[in-house]
Order: sequence, then C-alpha cells, then structure tokens
Amino acid sequence: MNKIEKLKKERKDIIDSASKKIPKNTLIDEVILNNHNIYHTIISSIKEETNDTKTFTLTIDKESNTTMLPPFIPGQYITLYLTISDIPTSRAYSLSSSPNLSLKNEYEITVKRVEGGLVSNYMLDELKVGDKLDISNPSGNFGYNPVRDEKNVVAIAGGSGITPFMSLARAILEGMYDCNLTVFYSVKTYDDIIFRKEIEEINKKNKNVCFIITLTREEKDGFLHGHLNKEMIEPYIKEFNTILMCGPKSIYKTMNEILNEFNIPRKSVHYENFAVTYEPDEIKTYELKVIMNESTVTIPCKSNETLLVTMEKNKIKAPSLCRVGECGYCRSKLLVGKVKMIGASIERSLEDDGYIHPCVSYPDSDITLKLDI
Amino acid sequence: MVYDAIIVGAGIGGLSAGLNLAFNNKKVLILEKNGLPGGVVTTFKRGRFEFDASLYDLMDYGSVEHIGSIKRLFKKYNLDIDTSPIPYNVRIKALDNQFEEVIKGEIDDWVLRLEELYRGSMSTFRNMLPILKEIDEALKAIKKGKKSLEDYPNFMKYIDMNAYDALVDLNIPTNTIHILGYFWIEIGSPLNKLSFIDFAECLYKLIFKRPVAVKEKNTSFALKLAKRFVELGGKIYYHSCVKNIKLDNTSEVTLTNGKTYKAKEIICNTSERYALKNLIENELAFANQKENARTISMNGLVIYLGLNKSYQDLKLYNYRYYEFQNLNSAINIKSMNKLYHHTIEGIVPNIINENASPKNTTILVLKTWYNMDAWKNIDKKNYYQTKNELAQSLIHEFEEAFHVDIEEYIEEIEIASPYTFKKHTNWDNGCFFGNMRLGYDNSINRLLSYQDELIPHLSFVGASSVFGSGVDNAFYSGYYVTEKLLEEKRSNYE
Repeated sequence: MNKIEKLKKERKDIIDSASKKIPKNTLIDEVILNNHNIYHTIISSIKEETNDTKTFTLTIDKESNTTMLPPFIPGQYITLYLTISDIPTSRAYSLSSSPNLSLKNEYEITVKRVEGGLVSNYMLDELKVGDKLDISNPSGNFGYNPVRDEKNVVAIAGGSGITPFMSLARAILEGMYDCNLTVFYSVKTYDDIIFRKEIEEINKKNKNVCFIITLTREEKDGFLHGHLNKEMIEPYIKEFNTILMCGPKSIYKTMNEILNEFNIPRKSVHYENFAVTYEPDEIKTYELKVIMNESTVTIPCKSNETLLVTMEKNKIKAPSLCRVGECGYCRSKLLVGKVKMIGASIERSLEDDGYIHPCVSYPDSDITLKLDI
Repeated sequence: MVYDAIIVGAGIGGLSAGLNLAFNNKKVLILEKNGLPGGVVTTFKRGRFEFDASLYDLMDYGSVEHIGSIKRLFKKYNLDIDTSPIPYNVRIKALDNQFEEVIKGEIDDWVLRLEELYRGSMSTFRNMLPILKEIDEALKAIKKGKKSLEDYPNFMKYIDMNAYDALVDLNIPTNTIHILGYFWIEIGSPLNKLSFIDFAECLYKLIFKRPVAVKEKNTSFALKLAKRFVELGGKIYYHSCVKNIKLDNTSEVTLTNGKTYKAKEIICNTSERYALKNLIENELAFANQKENARTISMNGLVIYLGLNKSYQDLKLYNYRYYEFQNLNSAINIKSMNKLYHHTIEGIVPNIINENASPKNTTILVLKTWYNMDAWKNIDKKNYYQTKNELAQSLIHEFEEAFHVDIEEYIEEIEIASPYTFKKHTNWDNGCFFGNMRLGYDNSINRLLSYQDELIPHLSFVGASSVFGSGVDNAFYSGYYVTEKLLEEKRSNYE
C-alpha cells in the first residue's frame, strides 16, 4: 500500500471507530440554542408610576418555546413587537429593572404616554396583567462600561430618559459596579417624577448613588428649579468623569455647551439615541415602491412619515429594532429616489452603497426600496 | 421552481460557491439569516469608529508577479477589489524563552536576523524553499484531480510527517522551528500534530503569495462579492434563517418562517456539525462519525478598541503583536486551558491603512484564545462581569508586555466572547478555526479523502470545511467544492 492509501485508511479507521449518534452540543451551543430573535413573554404585573407612566413586568410565557430571558447590561433596550388595529409595529424601551431580575427571567420596562402615540397609548390603556408580548433580545451599546469609563459617573436624564439610569442605579446598589453615580433628572413637575419613592429612599440611604431632580415648570422645596445649567452640575464634576445622557435632543445641545466649558473630552461623553422627530416645511405625498423577495407593492407615502411607518401602516412586516437609526437592523437599499435620513448611525461604506435606515428616513421624492423579506 | 443549488449562509464560502455556480450559469439561491452578507467578515459601528470584525489579512493573494489563488479567482469573476500589500511587521514576544523580536523589512532581512540568532538558519531555510514550492505544486495537481504524484518526490517524502519532525529532518535549528511556527499557535495546531504539508503550503503562501489588506471595510468587501453574484444571475434572500433540510433528488429547505425552497444540490456554509445537529433531517451515520471523531478548535475573546490618539502618539508601531507564554506551540496551547494566561495577539490596522479610523485615533484589536472547556463556569449571572474582567486583564497584559498605555485612551470598546461568535455565526462552541488540524484531520488528509467522503446532494464550504479557517481558505473552498460538483455534472452528461 502506498503512503496515500495508508493515510486514507488511517483516517477512515479513526472515523469508523467514532459514535454514529448526532454530535452533542457544548454548553455554549446549548445556551445560544435558547437565544432567539423573538422571546414570548407575558405581563406579570403593572405598576402605576405617575399619571401617565406605568412599569410593566414581563416574564416568560410558559406556553411558548421561550425558556429563558437572556442577561443584559443597564442601558440596553428591548423591542416590543405588537399588532395594533391590524398594524404590525414595534417600539424599543430601555430596561428599567436591575440586571439581576433577568436571572429570575423577568424584565421591567417603564412606558410614558406620548401624546397621540400609537404604542404608548395602547400599552397604558389596553394592556393588562396576563397579556402576551413578543420582545427582542436586549440590544444597544449605551451605558456604563467599567473597562472604558471613569469611576465618577454623571448621568443626565430628561423625562422618560430616566429609565436606563434606574437600571444602572439598581445595579450599582446591588454591587455589580464599583463607581459613583450622580443622576441629574430634569422633569416638568413634581407629579411627573417617575420612581419617586425609590429615588427618595436611595437618596436617604446611599452615598455612591444620588439623584438630583430639577423641576422645569414648578418650584418646590427640596428640588432645583429650571433647566439644567452649569452651576447645578459643577460641584459634581471631578478630575476624570464619564457623562451619560438620555433624553430629548434639546438636553444634549445644552449639555454639550456646558460640558465644553468643563473641558470634558469627547471620549468621556456617551448618548442614548432618543426618539427622532422631523417636520418638513410642507407635507407632500409621494409614491413608495417596495420590492420584496417574492412580490412588489406600490403605496403612497408622506414626507412627514418615515418609510418604516408607511410600510407598517400598509401591513408590510418590515424588519425593525431600535427605530432611532442606530442599530442597522432595518437597513434596506434605496434603489430610486431621495430621502432625508435624520440622525442615523450608518456605516459610511454602506451609505455609499445606497443603504438607508427606513426607521429614520423621510421621503423627498418618489421612492423605490429593496426590502429583504 | 427547483434551483440547481441552494446555499445556506452568505458567508465568504457561501458567496464564493455562489459566484462559481452563477458564473457557470447555474440557478442559485443563497439563504442568509442576517441582513447583510459576509458572515464574520462584517463591520460594526461604535461612535465615530467603524470596526472590521475579522478580515485584516487576505492571504494567498499575492502580487502581479506572484499571483495567488484568491487574486486569480477575483480576476475570473471580474471582481474589482482594492488592496494594499502588507509588509512584514510583526513583534513577537515569548515569556518563557525571554524572546522578543520584530519581523520586519524583506524576507531576506529576517532570515539574516534568524541566522544571527541561531546559526544554520539561513542555509537550511534556503534549502527548504524549493521543497515548499514543490509541495504547493503537488497540492495544485491533487486539486486538479491528478492521481499520480511521482513527479513530486519531496511531497511524497513528507506527506506523512508532522511539521516538527520534518523541520528537524531539514536541519532547521530548534528555536528557528518554533519561530517559523508562531503562526500555528494562533490556529491551535501544535507543530508535532500539524501535517508538514499544511505547514509548507501556508509558509509558501506567506512568503510568495503575500497577504494583502482589503482597503474597504469588511462589509463593503462582502457586499461587492454579493453584488457580483447577483449580477451573474444569483439570488440572495436575507433575514431568511434555515430550520430544516430534507435531502433527496430534489431536496427541500425550510425556513423558520415556514417558507420552503427546492434544489438539486444543497451547499452549507455552516459547519458540518451544526448542520447535522440542527438542520438535516436525514440520517447520516458516517458524517456523524466524522464529526464525533474530530476536535473543535479553540474559541476566544476579541476586544475591539477605539483609541482617541494616533498610533504614533500611542507608540504602536507594529502591525501585529504577539505575546506567548512559550514559543513551543505544544506547550503554549496547553496554557490556554485556563481563562487567565499570557497569550495575546494585537492588530493595529492603521499601520497599513491610514483611513482605518478617524484622524488622530487608532483601532487596536486584542485577541486571546481558550481551549474547549475554559468557559464552563461562566453562566448568566457572571457573564458580563467575567467578560469585563477578562478584557481588563488582557489590556493590562498588552500594556505591560509592549510598554504602551492604552486604557486611558479608550473611547469605544466592544468585547466579543465565544457566546458572541456563536450567536452571530453559529460557530460550534464559538470556535474560531472550525475543526482542529490534528493528525489524521489535517487539510491534506481531508483533501485526499474528499471524494470518498462525499454525501449525496450535500456539500460544505467555509472556514470549517476542507481547507480550514481563514478568508482565503473559505473562499477557495467555495470554488473547489462547486468545481467538483460541476465536474461531476459534466461527466454525467458525457
């Protein structure tokens, strides 16, 4: 037998002596096997936080194939997939619970009513304990990172932007991170303060986590008054800081001016992308042609509505996740036409190749979109 | 509609298979679970940094004078990919050996340096070069289906020898053997279990078919392959995750959303193990045996760092950095059984490509590797904490080893664990290199037995298939596997 035949026989003999059963999963394979794009959950409790805000506790739906909820880090969000009056849509909410709650397969999200908002009104008015909700994996890169960040963390929250910092505060108090957190929380009135009781408790008992609340439309003892300014923040800025911000864009603008005065380097400032709004000068109607794998539809679209919303209203189940242009999950190719893309974080090379994020794209002409479904 | 072939996965192997079939006018559908092509050849954005996940050096590419297989295939498909040559610029340090050297300049420079360090390196190295060339030619002949290999006496001499024994036989000084083998520490094959043929092929390509950097980002590169495939008549469906494959004369592929597609041939750009466990309905006893006999390669941790200083300011002057516990691959690989050890790779893409990140910033990618069970005590509770602690210690290790400051300049960070890779790529156990090239399961052994181990209507391409890991091997596997299918079809008609 020549060498080649010998090598082939040696190989065959080794293989022949192995088990004929299907190969086993490793531990890592097993864990990821239970990781899905969609988890089926059930609402296990609802807590009223303020007049227009509720916290929903979600747990696994035992009647489904969901067996666990994955761990997450404070600052991450989950996306809810809903069908409201036949319209398939989605919304992303920051997780407000401590990451430790996920060990019991529970998540909490805190939802504030948005005037005229399709999803928030549905959630606050229609959903009750026992209702089912489909959610995504925890996603997003916003939050505190112990490798990257400094020990003095200053968080700036506007309105419902408090939710990721509540998760972070709880995590720090439970010993997950070794850092000091000061949360500046800007809110209209005393009655609008979400998590008020818990915040008061934390402020009484703890040294490394502290909330400083400013009321913009009310004066009240024990609270700052007015919009955030340099004087309010100055005492909390140390030699090295990490600044985290979550709230409406207007807060970021003011804050950036203030932070410049403190000479805080760019690398120390991190933002969560918050809901995007855009009002064109004039509302125009265009035609949107959507080319999918096996069908093509043409529908009207309006210049003040994102392409994603237009598609959803026409019952097209377009992929979506963060809905603020950040994650790239909805990215699709613009074949014909022009759009205004507001605040999208898109790779330069993909943009050059014609990709857009429909979740933040407003039509500026007739559009042809290639949708990969 | 029955396709000539359905390809599961638009990774580099899948795209390559698709390109060759579409080039030969076959009706091909690629089904991809993600929204973009490329598999792990992908780009992600954090703040103002765009990080390439995996492809830094495209091997087997070469130059106009020494054209490599990959460049040749790109030319065949009329793929216009902008590349720049990668000079030798590797700093290697080994703690046990108190060794630290930079491989830099031209090949002759570092052979001279090896001679200075270990006498006898130069002459033995030079004597080895024609043997490397002969082995490369013999492999080409085998790939073309040539049965008689009498013209390649050196190939036949070394075909059943491991790399270590062969290099000893070639009188290469022991320390030089270990330095030449540094590359394989990363892949996880100790030199005494790696076939000399696999070793020689790789070294030959490293010297004569020099690797290049792809100038555009990973995602753009993958998109270019996908675009060309579509121009040639192929179809790709994204967001299409395959759940089940039923093999038959007309095979059926079912997606998680219930849609079904039919084809004469199924080509999986997944590992064989993954397909057997999760996709294929038919019973394939021999394929199961083949996987059960094998060893899954190492997994690891990759830290992508966006630093807010230029590489000059950071004093990161080398393109690649390696720190090993020991230069002897067999000893070093054993040290990777623990979560904390001293093996690190660092890559600074800005050295090759000034545009790798914005002005006055640097990307540094740090990597380490773990053997099979190192992660067994990590669960949901300590996952993120462990990941952060490992990243921190790796950064400190790198700073200390190469006398640089990194930590205070971190603007963006992403830490990818075995779980991350498993989740996005379906790599078994989150492993980096498919099945290990050990003893009977080196690439040469897989190649020699390729025809005997074929499964009707099912083939595998990509990093865990016949030629092993690496973008070059994945791409070449797509070509080789489909070329064999096309030959089979052609001979059936005759």
